[in-house]
Amino acid sequence: MKVELEKSFPLPAPAEAAWALLQDVEAVAGCMPGARITERVDATHYKGTVTVRLGPASMAFRGEVEVKEVDAAARALRLAGRGMDSTGTSGATMDLHARVEAVDAASCRLLGRSEVSVSGKAATFGGRLMQGVAEQVLQQFVANFAQRLPAVPDVAAGDGAAAPVPPPQRELNGLALAWAMLRDWLRQLFGTRRA
Amino acid sequence: MGDMSELQAREDQLQGMGVSLLRKEDARFIRGQGSYVDDIKLPGMLFGALVRSPYAHARIKGIDKSKALACPGVVAVLTADDLKPVKLHWMPTLGGDVQAVLADQKVCFQLQEVAMVLASDRYAAADGAALVEVDYEELPAIVDPKKSMAADAPVIREDIAEKKDVGHGPRTHPNHIFTWEAGNQAAADAAFAGAAVTVREEILNPRVHPCPLETCGCVASFSKATGNLTVYLTSQAPHIVRTVLAMLSGIPESKIRVVGGDIGGGFGNKVPVYPGYVVAIVASIVTGVPVKWIESRIDNISTTGFARDYHGIGELAADADGRIKGLRFTALADHGAFNSHVSATKFPAGLFSICTGSYAIPNAYCRVDAVYTNKAPGGVAYRCSLRVTEAVYLIERMIDVLAQKLGIDKAEIRRRNFVQKEQFPYTTSLGWTLDSGDYVPALEKVLKAVDYEGLRREQAEKRAKGELMGIGIATFTEIVGAGPTKACDILGIGLFDSCEIRVHPTGGVIARLGTMSQGQGHATTYAQIIATELGLPASDIVVEEGDTDKAPYGAGTWGSRSTPVAGAAAAKAARKIKDKARQIAAHLLEVGEGDLEWEVDRFTVKGNPGQAKTMKELCMAAHTGNLPEGMEQGLNAVSYYDPPNLTYPFGAYVCVVDVDRFTGEVKVRRFYALDDCGTRINPMIIEGQIHGGLTEAFAVALGQQIPFDENGNHLGNSLMDYFLPTAVETPRWETDHTVTPSPHHPLGAKGVAESPHVGGIPCISNAVIDAFAHLGVTHMDMPHSAWRVWQQCHALGIDRH
Amino acid sequence: MANKHVVSFTLNGKEVDVAVEPRELLIHTLRERLLHTGPHIGCETSHCGACTVDLDGMSVKSCTMLTVQCEGASMVTIEGLEQGGVLHALQQAFHEHHGLQCGYCTPGMITRAYRLLQENPNPSEEEIRYWISGNLCRCTGYQNIVKAVQAAAQKLAAAQPA
Repeated sequence: MKVELEKSFPLPAPAEAAWALLQDVEAVAGCMPGARITERVDATHYKGTVTVRLGPASMAFRGEVEVKEVDAAARALRLAGRGMDSTGTSGATMDLHARVEAVDAASCRLLGRSEVSVSGKAATFGGRLMQGVAEQVLQQFVANFAQRLPAVPDVAAGDGAAAPVPPPQRELNGLALAWAMLRDWLRQLFGTRRA
Repeated sequence: MGDMSELQAREDQLQGMGVSLLRKEDARFIRGQGSYVDDIKLPGMLFGALVRSPYAHARIKGIDKSKALACPGVVAVLTADDLKPVKLHWMPTLGGDVQAVLADQKVCFQLQEVAMVLASDRYAAADGAALVEVDYEELPAIVDPKKSMAADAPVIREDIAEKKDVGHGPRTHPNHIFTWEAGNQAAADAAFAGAAVTVREEILNPRVHPCPLETCGCVASFSKATGNLTVYLTSQAPHIVRTVLAMLSGIPESKIRVVGGDIGGGFGNKVPVYPGYVVAIVASIVTGVPVKWIESRIDNISTTGFARDYHGIGELAADADGRIKGLRFTALADHGAFNSHVSATKFPAGLFSICTGSYAIPNAYCRVDAVYTNKAPGGVAYRCSLRVTEAVYLIERMIDVLAQKLGIDKAEIRRRNFVQKEQFPYTTSLGWTLDSGDYVPALEKVLKAVDYEGLRREQAEKRAKGELMGIGIATFTEIVGAGPTKACDILGIGLFDSCEIRVHPTGGVIARLGTMSQGQGHATTYAQIIATELGLPASDIVVEEGDTDKAPYGAGTWGSRSTPVAGAAAAKAARKIKDKARQIAAHLLEVGEGDLEWEVDRFTVKGNPGQAKTMKELCMAAHTGNLPEGMEQGLNAVSYYDPPNLTYPFGAYVCVVDVDRFTGEVKVRRFYALDDCGTRINPMIIEGQIHGGLTEAFAVALGQQIPFDENGNHLGNSLMDYFLPTAVETPRWETDHTVTPSPHHPLGAKGVAESPHVGGIPCISNAVIDAFAHLGVTHMDMPHSAWRVWQQCHALGIDRH
Repeated sequence: MANKHVVSFTLNGKEVDVAVEPRELLIHTLRERLLHTGPHIGCETSHCGACTVDLDGMSVKSCTMLTVQCEGASMVTIEGLEQGGVLHALQQAFHEHHGLQCGYCTPGMITRAYRLLQENPNPSEEEIRYWISGNLCRCTGYQNIVKAVQAAAQKLAAAQPA
């Protein structure tokens, strides 16, 4: 069961700042709701976990992330991840191409193209939800990412103080996700599509 | 000689053949006191839970049991490595292939068995199973059988990659299993070349699953003290399993006991030997305590014997009047990752060559190419004889296609092609000798009962108004009762069956047979056969099956073989006893055997009716000292029956459907089923079987499928998705019959329980397609779910005002 | 050591106490601790109804009930329908009308029909089919089950004092 997503998000920060954050794999993982890097194996290999809660039940995925390519000139990188849930009944793989494009001195765009594939129970029972879930997760990720970016200092203030970084979400709350999906779906039915 | 009413009274008392005798089995079931495998509890029993692969195709890099072993209640964790020392990590299948018991280095289908956790109760076992960590390296999966034999296809079965043959002839590709053909290809091709009209369709018989209400399971108990292995098992063929276990385990067959107790439905799903059974047995041997393994519903649908998955091409050649001159049917068979389809050595595609059906087709050729894919292994014969549903579906669909092409009425075209009564016994151009049949009166009776002409008129009126109404016909011949040992075997064991009868001094009888009821009512129907044969009341006749320690050897119950084979054995054994009783009677009455006549329940002297010996009296007499010179005491006999032929029950079914062109919903308005199973033993039980078989046909035709995504993930393997009809949508069935006894069967009986499934599927499918026939639709693949039928409506532009 | 709770309820007229983990399902308690193997397990998604019991005047799928929810409940299973050696009209009717073949759905089916006839002593065929739509059967096609329920309804009605 494969899902392909291609999205672009505006970010209120200079391209260099966004690119710097993008290369910090631990920070990036921290922006993914429910995800955490637990071990740095070497420069390009990491181990991590993703925890999903659905009411009283929770699912924990363990996996590896590999930074496959880094192109500093293009401000692009490629990440590959694979993981399995702790009961061994679901597997997931992800291939992500992420790029930062400058728009102007104070803003840029984060472009991502990813292919996510799930196997096992997650595919059998969750397959139908995947597209919606993936989009929601990505929206949360970008929101977290944007909050982590150092704010553009006021030209007048000039003291370079960074905006406070809110603590990253430790868990992926399934019910909140489902609610967000329902809300979005209703919006689509009755309103214009959001980018 | 008594008068008619007295004779009738004596016959009524026997409650023998032909009576709708209420079932002896019911007493325990209506009280909830059946003894199914999961009801069994033995002291010290452990519970086994399987760890299964989430991937359809993957290498196993490592298995870490440590967390599982540390889980409270967990006693052991078994993997392939633990089975290797006893060489049980692979096992032979009933299809001549081998299957992994626990995955050894790679998995080949999603939810394949990888490890078994043994624990003190089922909750601890489930906890333990969730803690086993398996490191997989995912491999690309083959899900489309048409891609199995591509040059660059991944090799699924590395274990047999070098083997040129897996039991059924040469292989041309590592993912190829066998190619089997029958008939005369040259003659068929010539018929097509010279024909006035030919038709061709690609016809899918999708992968479905028998889904009995009780899943598979076992309790295995090995005693270190005695060296005896006892296995309580959901098996439709306990003796075959015992023999296979002896071959596998090295334990002498005389020290293995397989017990089939009450089984909650089989429908073919409980014929194969599943890895869970083997691991539970090894676990019991290793731990020295009983081990219970019961699978979940999802595991059952996902990993146990599926059915069908035949991708067929049907071709018929005919003259301008619709008389079929040639037939070419080929099929690509998807067997999943291991071929575990019950296969006689000579018939790896089962009895597919019955596909000439009820018709006299002079030139025919059929071929089946079987391949591996990354799906569950199989298949099994889901409420049918081996591959007969596939065969009958093809011919009954294609004759409708031919009728539509020529504009000939679908009942009329069948009349024109039937094997006529005077042609029996009729040997088909694919080699089967149909022993008896009388197709025309059956069809006429059904058409009259439903007012066929009236229905066609109504259909024309509805079509003029843009409404969709369909009339489906199926006139099928089934081939059941496997079978003559010359042709029919499993792993070399002939498909005979047996009955052993012991008669007690006070007239009670115990009969044990080699078949295995899963709800068919054997305890009642076999008793009725023996009651009529022996002249003793059915209420005094106890029937037992399933305990291999007690029952004589048989091949079990599947493919409607119980009545044709074991029922014949029961008659034969009873007749041996009757012959001996006749000798005793003659001796006691001091007459010659030729002077005696049999009358319902006693031997009377010809011309001297007052002189008689009842069977009851002879039961006692056989245990006394007053017997003919040289005769041993006792009134017992055993018969091992090797049938001279299979049997050919047939039927004529009509189905009327109304299709909602806006939603695609199909409603079965009427279904009239006429079955001819030869001599009818218990009409009530027959009718119940017809209802059940038709309901399963309804399920297959209108909703069942096992879909996969491109990675081999199951997409509908629980009852959330898999269609099991409820009482609300199940139609009311009308049943009828004719009687054309089988000339070679001792009772003239043919077997019936699977005919309604085999005939029901094409009948309902034909009805749905007939609803669209006037719009040029020649075929639609099953299942005819509302979504899929709507897509056809949408394509035709008729789903809007 | 897993935390266990003592739960007490009435089963077929008798008081029982069991000590169970909070996650234990009622069907497992009935079948394995209380040795009532009449209710059966046919699925794990609450579809098949083979596990149906009668609890505080309602049909309940015991596979979808935690035992700890049953404190103080009054429960009836198939084993409790025969009274004083006399079969319930439903049990008799299922036998007389061939409403069972393999017997696996039968305990749940009869228990459900029992609740139906308590609430609706004279159900139409459509009502019967709707009521038992949560109980799957693979053998009978339901036709004889419907007949059996109708026959039992008639018998029970006839036995009512005028």
